[in-house]
Amino acid sequence: MAALRSWKDAMVAAGAVAVSHVPEASLGRTDIDEVAGAEPVEDSGLAAHPVEQGAPAPPAIRFLDGIELWKVVYYDGVLPIVRAHVAAAVKSRGADRRLRTADEAGRDCFVTSVALLRPAVRAVLEASGLELVDLPQEEASQPGRALEAARRAVERARVALEKQLGERCAERLGPDEWLVVDGVLSESSVLAGHPRALAVIKSHGAQYFAGPELERALTVSPGNRTSVFRPRGRARHEVYSWYQRLWPWEGNDVLFGLLRVEARAHADTVRAASRIGGWLHRERAPLATPDARWDRLLYPIHYVETYLKARAPRDLLPAPGSRLPKTGT
Amino acid sequence: MIGKDSALPTASPPSAPRPVGHVVATELKPATPYQFHFWTANETSIGIGAIVRVEEPGNGKRETGNEIRETGNGKGETGKVVYGVVTDGFAYSDLATPLHDVVGAEGDPARAAESPTARQEIRLWTAAVLRQIPEEPLQPVPLGRVHVATDADVARALRMDAYLGGAHPTAIPVGLYTSGGLEAPVYLDADFLLGPEAAHLNISGVSGLATKTSAVEFLLSAIFEHFPPHKGRIAAVCFNVKGPDLCFLDQPGTLDAEDRRRYERLGVPAQPFERVRYYAPFKADGANLNTLRTHAALVGDVEPLVWGLREVLDFAEVLLNRDDIDAKADAFIDFLADRVVDKEFADGFGNVHRVTTFADLDKLFRAVFDGLELAGRSDTWRTHHIATIRKVRNRLANISTRCKGLVADDGPSNDLPWGRFEDRAVYVVDVANVDPLGQDLVFARIVSKLREHLERRDLGVDAVMVFVDELNKYASADGPDTYVRKMLLDISERGRYLGLVLFGAEQFRSQVHRRVVGNAGTMVFGRMDSDELATPGYQVLTPATKTKLATLPIGELMVRHPHFTQPIFVRFPRPAVLRGRDGVERFPPAADLPFEDAVVRQLVKLDRRIRPNQVKDLIADRLEQDVRRALATVRQTHPEDPLACLRRQLGARVEPEPARGAVPPLAPISEEPY
Repeated sequence: MAALRSWKDAMVAAGAVAVSHVPEASLGRTDIDEVAGAEPVEDSGLAAHPVEQGAPAPPAIRFLDGIELWKVVYYDGVLPIVRAHVAAAVKSRGADRRLRTADEAGRDCFVTSVALLRPAVRAVLEASGLELVDLPQEEASQPGRALEAARRAVERARVALEKQLGERCAERLGPDEWLVVDGVLSESSVLAGHPRALAVIKSHGAQYFAGPELERALTVSPGNRTSVFRPRGRARHEVYSWYQRLWPWEGNDVLFGLLRVEARAHADTVRAASRIGGWLHRERAPLATPDARWDRLLYPIHYVETYLKARAPRDLLPAPGSRLPKTGT
Repeated sequence: MIGKDSALPTASPPSAPRPVGHVVATELKPATPYQFHFWTANETSIGIGAIVRVEEPGNGKRETGNEIRETGNGKGETGKVVYGVVTDGFAYSDLATPLHDVVGAEGDPARAAESPTARQEIRLWTAAVLRQIPEEPLQPVPLGRVHVATDADVARALRMDAYLGGAHPTAIPVGLYTSGGLEAPVYLDADFLLGPEAAHLNISGVSGLATKTSAVEFLLSAIFEHFPPHKGRIAAVCFNVKGPDLCFLDQPGTLDAEDRRRYERLGVPAQPFERVRYYAPFKADGANLNTLRTHAALVGDVEPLVWGLREVLDFAEVLLNRDDIDAKADAFIDFLADRVVDKEFADGFGNVHRVTTFADLDKLFRAVFDGLELAGRSDTWRTHHIATIRKVRNRLANISTRCKGLVADDGPSNDLPWGRFEDRAVYVVDVANVDPLGQDLVFARIVSKLREHLERRDLGVDAVMVFVDELNKYASADGPDTYVRKMLLDISERGRYLGLVLFGAEQFRSQVHRRVVGNAGTMVFGRMDSDELATPGYQVLTPATKTKLATLPIGELMVRHPHFTQPIFVRFPRPAVLRGRDGVERFPPAADLPFEDAVVRQLVKLDRRIRPNQVKDLIADRLEQDVRRALATVRQTHPEDPLACLRRQLGARVEPEPARGAVPPLAPISEEPY
């Protein structure tokens, strides 16, 4: 026992950080595993900058988030028929610190490969009154592939809805209002070019650095941000970005409390990064518990998500354990 | 696409009032036939005691037997309506554990309030069901919309619709239910407040806030105004047992505009009682009244309460302590009452007595003792042992000493107008400064007489409300089994058949005999002491209701009534009469007058033409006891010429014998001792 303790001490002394984490929740998108690359904007290399502690938040901020819920509700032969619900909402926060719904939209649909359905089943689905989203036949040839295709289709629907709502909101923003989006700005030219739109990204599947710069990015201290950089890779519209740490990661995981922020690709963004980082830092409170991602999830975003889930169709929400008494069988 | 752009709530059409909440039910907090839970906006007018209406959502159809009927209102509601009263409230946020707040504020309480976003909060309320319409089948409360109750809703919820209308309405306003800017009168059912269905009212509350007395004063006004004509005539007898509380019921008090508006809303005139009769015993001097209503402008209305031997002897049991009560003493007292008092009675020693006063009785006792001693006979007289006779004589003498002023040694008595009670009149009997023994006597005798006359239906009214404060003292749960307590129990249990209604008040309901409070059909609670609320009698109340009771402002009450399935909070206006404390400031009690002046005042009250000097000349050099006896006769007979009557009663003046001249000593007394 004494030997084990001295080995742990030696690891820490050598520069390793002791952590305790089950990495599943912080994996982020699994479909992006390459290093996308980044172009320095603020500094020649990636450096750490303190955020402006106490920087006042804008008097009014709108927060946008969306949800997607789906489940297989039928099989036609071995073809899964997925029932899906996507929704997005914008909540506005004013001087009273309360969040109120400013805009929302939702969409209910069936997702399947229509051409592979038997005519009778297809007729019933078409008569259901819900939209029918078609999957290409080649992606639905096997149940497993069909489900993955359905998942992507539902995700696309959600992203499209968020984009639609975000753009509508950006057009209506008041002169002192900001829009904070859960996700990325780079999917929309309107949002990517808006001077008062921000995106906060919680998952870090896509990496933009390697080696010592990656270490500096992922181990930035709480209350600090990295230099502003221009992400490369699959982004459709150019934005600036920086990493920012909300909570100490030591003792948890290297991605714990780490956000990536996206804003307009403009010189003003570089000038305002520390100030924006300052008021984002204050968004740590209240904690977005009981969500497991509370270390990176801003409470207003969590609130929008809770709101959308509360209004979602009950049959698509994860079923709680049966409350009926168990029988002998 | 099911897009719902712009989700800001839109205003409902004016015809459909906006709901203030929605019923929710979970496995842990289900809706039941008698209780439900609902949430409201954070900023809401709902509070503890608020009455709400729940409308059942649905398709407008209800299955009854084998058929499905259209029962709704055309808005998808099935027509089932549930009324409830809020009994508890909860507020909480989505904070999973307090630790998360500490973490979010980094341990600094000052920063906890600086978070940019306010946490989502809920206002969750628990309501007890007051009524379901239709009442059958009795089912759990539907998960419907919650509305603030209107006037009509309050009437239906409290089942007041049964007695507010019809050919013989029996509604008595008790106060205003107020919530969320709405205000609705709350009525009690006279049949259940004053009999015969149920009766009696009990009011509890801490002392010093004037809530109990004020509430009773207002309620008496309301009863006098709204007592149903078909129920006959009614009067009130109020025992003033402390201070000047009830001494100024005929004087107008100070009311503000809000009070007057409430009076108008409740249909009660904002004015003092029109007919108030005051009774108070004399002080020990037998001339000055023992009350705080002695200001020159008011004392003329106060009738002296004077009782003689007969009145006392009938209630000797009240006055004798437990040790005195034995069969021999009882037998002797009964002998006196049956055979001696008010009769020609020969004592067996050659004397004939007519005993009408304590003085006469004492003469009889002395004659008996002398007779026995002179005759040298046994120590028994008329089968009663001399020790018993002496004991009874001592106790009765003690009464006339301790209750001097109330009990006259001699002279006639002066009493309440038995048989001539007036409709809507208040009879105030002021015993605040009387010895406790005397208070017991007054109380026992008056209530017994009320009962006696009501049984014979010859009191002058059909029902009498008897207001007794300090039930903790008179009907104590764990005190001695006194005559007064027995009588209060008797009224509580049988008074409603006679029209004898007890309005009792006390500070600690838990310390009043359970049958006295248990028989009260209507319970009223003012601000309560926390310790009292912790007693078992209040277990049925929720913690929130108890907290509200412990902090209830003056002018607000909680009412329980047979028609109300849950306690209801009401506000009542200040009584339109002068409060006791204000009364003694505006009408400071007069200092005790010298005996001569006190006699003058009583005679002037009977005849304003009488000049003080005439009276003073008449009673100069007379014994006070002779004057008192003569005055009592004048007071009782109400002669046309009181002065002449007094002169006759006093009789001819007996000139004192001239002083005899000094007899000179036989020999001068020398200062020299030798």
